[in-house]
Amino acid sequence: MFDLPVLLQILWTSVATSTCYVLFAVAFALTLKVAQVWNFVQAGTMGLAFYAMFAAMLGWGWPHPAGFAFGLGIAVAVSMAVEVWGYRVLRRRRSSALLLFIFAIVVAEFIAYLLSLVFGTEPQSLTKSLTSEVYLVGGVAISSWDLNALAVTAAACAALFAFLRFTRQGQFLYAVADNGDLAELYGISANRAYLIAMVIAAALVSVGVYLYGTRASMIPNAPLELMLLAVIATILGGIGSLVGAGVAAVFLSVLQSASILVIPSQWQSSLTYFVLFAVILFFPTGFRVPAWLRRR
Amino acid sequence: MEYIYSVLILIGIYTIMAASFNLIIGYGGLISIAHPIFFALAAYASALLNLRLGVPIPLAILIGALFSAGMSVMLSLPSLRVSGDYLLIASIGFQLGFIEVIKNIEFAGAASGLTGIGSLYSGPTRSLAFTVTVLVAAAAVVWLVHWLTHGEYGRAIQAMRDDEECFASLGRNAMAIKITIFAVGSGLAGLAGALYAHYFQFLSPEQFGIVQSALILTMVVVGGMGTTLGPIVGALLLTALPQAITFLNMPPSVMAPVQGMLYTGLVLVFLFVRPAGLVGKKAGQ
Repeated sequence: MFDLPVLLQILWTSVATSTCYVLFAVAFALTLKVAQVWNFVQAGTMGLAFYAMFAAMLGWGWPHPAGFAFGLGIAVAVSMAVEVWGYRVLRRRRSSALLLFIFAIVVAEFIAYLLSLVFGTEPQSLTKSLTSEVYLVGGVAISSWDLNALAVTAAACAALFAFLRFTRQGQFLYAVADNGDLAELYGISANRAYLIAMVIAAALVSVGVYLYGTRASMIPNAPLELMLLAVIATILGGIGSLVGAGVAAVFLSVLQSASILVIPSQWQSSLTYFVLFAVILFFPTGFRVPAWLRRR
Repeated sequence: MEYIYSVLILIGIYTIMAASFNLIIGYGGLISIAHPIFFALAAYASALLNLRLGVPIPLAILIGALFSAGMSVMLSLPSLRVSGDYLLIASIGFQLGFIEVIKNIEFAGAASGLTGIGSLYSGPTRSLAFTVTVLVAAAAVVWLVHWLTHGEYGRAIQAMRDDEECFASLGRNAMAIKITIFAVGSGLAGLAGALYAHYFQFLSPEQFGIVQSALILTMVVVGGMGTTLGPIVGALLLTALPQAITFLNMPPSVMAPVQGMLYTGLVLVFLFVRPAGLVGKKAGQ
């Protein structure tokens, strides 16, 4: 059971599978860092992006790039609407954090019900077949999906970090994240920064759900559970650290996959929740990561 | 008549749920979506104590409610130690996690549900007696929450909710108050759950999911958070509304999402149009 090829296979598969989780976690961590909201609406954005892609690709027969662009457009539009007509209004009214929480969680649930009504609760995926070409490398099966997912995720993360580090707007996001009031005094619009963070997060989750939907099936309630993993990763990685969230997402994915060796399969789905408690109990402020990594 | 009794019993049970949730969210300012799981834990505990160990039903109901209160500490203690934000996150995991656990426990009926639960009353007046019991329990819970939140302790709760740092600087223990009101609210939800189990005599893990969380939250927000009468109005309105929808004869696959959209849509409307709810006063009033 614990022989090397099996362990290597589990490690490889879980790292490849973690690509979607990394994108979800980084997106969640970004909005939390910049806008200081636990953006549970992200679960709704994930669901909308997925089902828009599903309708376009399998319903209307659009090619994948067009279907992805459609899902991305819907996710970005909804995120912008939520920021402008939701969070911004509540912030202007100086609503309590409690109301922001309620708003976020209720919008996510509303979208899940809407998707259940329109698309039903049968599992759906973005391709007719979820299998892809497999290569054997030293006894480890590596699929073309694995390679594509790793490349796309690496590219998306690199683009995000380049944006944050080398562009003026990216620097503004850091400024607002550090001190919104002070940033406003320097002429930086906090509202604009929040909007940009929401748009980037929507783009990241769209890429994530595309990868997820070409590998596994989705039901309307699934995004909320997937979000939990992103939330755990954000806490574990240290709130405010995008790199930490991404690394924690990989760790959680490996943990989940490796647990199959020691935990009966029917208890597998409960593992995420136990990890959530363990993280809150033992690592409420996350693992400490080097300062140069935390800055990102 | 049996139908009327069932609706009245549901109104009573949801009034207990909404009033106890109002204690947590409205007065305590603690946000958790796990209220239905405390309802479920007591329902299962009470049902199993009676069914498997022969514990008398009234005692089983009491133990069930205390069990829920105890379990709530397991959730609130680690999460509130960090911050109130963590309570919400932990509550999502707690609820979904325990539903998964119940689904895998064979002696609790697993995913197919627990049947054959004993009834609190028997005979031709069973429903009437149960209706009276539940409505009296609901009135007692509303009174208890009102009493808790309008006396000296209530002022401490509100001070803690409005400015925790200032409250702590006066030497008061905010953490102890939070854990206490969370436990009391969860224990009362447990009472509702145990009563439910011994009237409807069937429990399934699917009954206690996110839909129930949305429903209870809607009752409190629509009725008016932090008010005594708000949860009663919310429970009345939102128990009657689905009954009205039932007459539309929609298939279950449509009914469930429509109900869910109705609940969550109402919360959104009230959050923006009338955040104080139907009973609460508007700002400036």
